[in-house]
Amino acid sequence: MYNANEPNETELPSSASLLKSTLIAFVVAAIILVTIVLPAEYAIDPTGIGSALGLTRMGEIKSQLAEEAEADAGSEINVGSVGQRVPAPPAGPPTDATPAGTAQADPAPAGEENGWRDTTEITIAPEEAIELKLVMAKGEKAAYEWDAGRGSLNFNEHGDGNGQSIEYGKGRATPSRQGELIAAFDGYHGWFWRNRSEVPVSLTLRTRGSYSEIKRTR
Amino acid sequence: MRRVRFRCPGLSTKLSRFGVLASLFMVSPVFAHGVAQGDKGYIQEVSGVHLVPFAYLGAKHMATGYDHVLFLLGVIFFLYRLKDVSVYVSLFAFGHSSTMLLGVYFGWNVSAYLVDAIIGLSVVYKGLDNLGAFRRWFGRQPNTKLAVLIFGFFHGLGLATKILEYELDPNGLVPNLLSFNVGVEIGQLVALSAILIAMGYWRRSASFQRHAYGANVLLMSAGFILVGYQLTGFFVN
Repeated sequence: MYNANEPNETELPSSASLLKSTLIAFVVAAIILVTIVLPAEYAIDPTGIGSALGLTRMGEIKSQLAEEAEADAGSEINVGSVGQRVPAPPAGPPTDATPAGTAQADPAPAGEENGWRDTTEITIAPEEAIELKLVMAKGEKAAYEWDAGRGSLNFNEHGDGNGQSIEYGKGRATPSRQGELIAAFDGYHGWFWRNRSEVPVSLTLRTRGSYSEIKRTR
Repeated sequence: MRRVRFRCPGLSTKLSRFGVLASLFMVSPVFAHGVAQGDKGYIQEVSGVHLVPFAYLGAKHMATGYDHVLFLLGVIFFLYRLKDVSVYVSLFAFGHSSTMLLGVYFGWNVSAYLVDAIIGLSVVYKGLDNLGAFRRWFGRQPNTKLAVLIFGFFHGLGLATKILEYELDPNGLVPNLLSFNVGVEIGQLVALSAILIAMGYWRRSASFQRHAYGANVLLMSAGFILVGYQLTGFFVN
């Protein structure tokens, strides 16, 4: 009936060796759990081995992303109709849920410079993230360039507002970038930057074009 | 920096275009901040070579991937000698490693749902094979080693589609990918050890021969559920 023979008694492990195997499996599992799984999933690293292997950082990033997602949930941005140039204030400023932390400066528009309308400089500490957004009506265009000084940043270029959202692009460890932002709908369109390097990064953003204002939303 | 083009079923991100096109206007249905969570979130936050973390992710993927574990269970169900186990498991490992590496490196754009449906079928096949159905129905036994190798190729394609969805950084892709592959084999050995110990206990009891038939029917049933689940996903999405 089967595609196999019945096992001979000699082909089967003895009861004692099975018990021994189970014990070994349990001990190995406990060691792997404490030195590898807990650091990589929750950044819980009592032995320090997870850190040495580079796994604790994975756990830290996962925990941080989970906390931020929880904080972000419910901070819906409602900008009203931007086209009428009367942008309503965001319903519940998103910065309440995610304070700017140790990022060291507020947006400091330095006025016109080489044809740019706004220049914004912010220092971003390691592991910190900030967001700068242009308030734009659908179809408006803004040119931009940003650079991370001598460092590099992860970025996500996106827009949101009135329940809509769009991703224009993203990248990792990017030193600089330039381009044009075309608003897909009325709302806040701009950038999320995260410093995953070990040193503070000086971000400079220059913008021009049709937008009503530049805001720091995180 | 090497540029590798990714074609992902879920997200229409083409990494190769970053920094080339001035204005990216890719519409994709991600939520506001587009930040993924968990393993994918980690992978999207880091760049460069991270050997141990990627080995961990490979091992985790294999050891917690119930479709691969079910197939492995079917394969070793009637293998009593460790030598036979290692031959079949090596064939499976060779099969899935090759298509996983090639699939990710060349960005093979295959449907994750269809590949996973075939993986479900591989579980059904192995259940039927264990029951001796092919000999009964067709009068001859299809080559079991060849079957494991061929289904291994499909399991590798399934792994490749998952890795493509992770959107690995082109910077450090090959070392990270090889490391992931090493992790997959470690994860397979971990899962295999657990299965062999459990089967060791079961095979010693008289109930093994009585329930082996039913167990393989259950295995088939699990395979059919996977097929239905994935095919539905293919048509719904």
